[in-house]
Amino acid sequence: MPTMDEYAKQPREARLQRLTRTAEQLAAAIAGQGDATLSRRPDAKNWAAKEIVCHLRDVEESFGGRFEQILAMDTDPRLGAANADRLAEERQYLRNDTAEALTAFRRRRQETLEFFGKLTSGQWDKGGIHPVRGRITLDGFLTLMAWHDDNHLDQLARALQGRA
Amino acid sequence: MPFSYYARLTRAQQAIYRKSDEVGEVRLPRPALLQPAVTALAAALATENRGQVQRATERLVGGLTEALGVPAVQVEVLAARPHAKWGELHGLYTVERGRPPRIQLWMRTAKQRRVVAFRTYLRTLLHEVGHHLDYALLRLRDSYHTEGFYRRESSLFHQLVAEPRGPGLTVDAWFRRPADERLARLASTPGRVAHALEGRSPRALARRPAATAWAPVEIVCHLRDVDETFGERVAAILAMDEPALPRVGPADRWAAERQYLRHDAALALAHFRRRRGESLEALVSASPADWQRGGEHPVRGRLSIDMLVALMAWHDDNHLDQLTRALEGRP
Repeated sequence: MPTMDEYAKQPREARLQRLTRTAEQLAAAIAGQGDATLSRRPDAKNWAAKEIVCHLRDVEESFGGRFEQILAMDTDPRLGAANADRLAEERQYLRNDTAEALTAFRRRRQETLEFFGKLTSGQWDKGGIHPVRGRITLDGFLTLMAWHDDNHLDQLARALQGRA
Repeated sequence: MPFSYYARLTRAQQAIYRKSDEVGEVRLPRPALLQPAVTALAAALATENRGQVQRATERLVGGLTEALGVPAVQVEVLAARPHAKWGELHGLYTVERGRPPRIQLWMRTAKQRRVVAFRTYLRTLLHEVGHHLDYALLRLRDSYHTEGFYRRESSLFHQLVAEPRGPGLTVDAWFRRPADERLARLASTPGRVAHALEGRSPRALARRPAATAWAPVEIVCHLRDVDETFGERVAAILAMDEPALPRVGPADRWAAERQYLRHDAALALAHFRRRRGESLEALVSASPADWQRGGEHPVRGRLSIDMLVALMAWHDDNHLDQLTRALEGRP
């Protein structure tokens, strides 16, 4: 699994390709799994498979909001901090249907890819101030998303095996 | 879908329960005739004088029993509600052999000893009258808290209190209200939602009044998620100079994507309450100058914190009204 730095060195097209594959990889991973398996947390702190899919769905929306803000402003916006565990609890991920969550993720991801597809070369360098990572350009966000997808696909495979 | 205690009832009791559940309305022949008694009760509560509240309550209850052609019921208004670990007692209806039926109502809260709000008091009164009507009008041998019972209580309430259709105040009207009043409005919403949901089954809360109109649980989830966005917008405005405020939702997309219909309403309300508490804390900590700071919304244009608070007060009104309708099966 490439690190963020390794992804950053990859051509933009390769990183975009990474993003196009994720929905199918998620679908393949959860295919044939019952709701009990998808809802089982490997331990008290680690997410169940369906929580990971819901997280990807909601983060995709959150990325979209950040990108819109970055494009709309002349200066780098200060991006808010997200608390993924809090959202998992508040939005009751464990009560969600995994297949429906995946469908919603697929649609959101398609919109992200369309957004990236329309960016001019100058816009890829626009950025915002991330509360933890500092300044990130839209190109940097593409890198982050590729790595983030890998990370959660790996976590999903472990969760389905009952491993944290 | 009956409430869970239904399973513990005997067959005879279950038959009574089902009969109660079937009747969703008590229609008053001419509700306008009771309006003066309703207004007098609101005025009596405002005086905080127990004697006046006693007389006004007797007048209204007498008017109700007369209008419905059922035997009279005694009324006793008491001061502070009794309370214990289980909560506070708001009202009580008792029938004892050889004695006339009696309604007892408490007009002050247990701990703060504040006079109960008019609508809450009227709701309690109609709840107890509802028990009397179960025996005297519907001829039931017992009076259970069924969904039908709560719908009957609501039907009486709405005949006596004219509800504004749609939001009570416009956003601009809220904007002209003092900040304290708007904050008080925001602070009261979780409690009002809790009151509306009280005693409702998960099935009732997940029932949409029409294919395209939200069920009660969806409205609560919406309030919770909008408050998250509200907090983020206030934080962005305070952290940046005139930031762009990204559009969110749309709300129907959130409801579908986040699968609101599968959520637990009580849990959603608890999280809404927490989010709302955080929002209020941020607003109270902000200075008057901070309230004039703003951001650019892609559709609404510039929004100051001052205006956002007015928007939220209007938004609360709007969805509380929608919640009331949804609980009555109206879109």
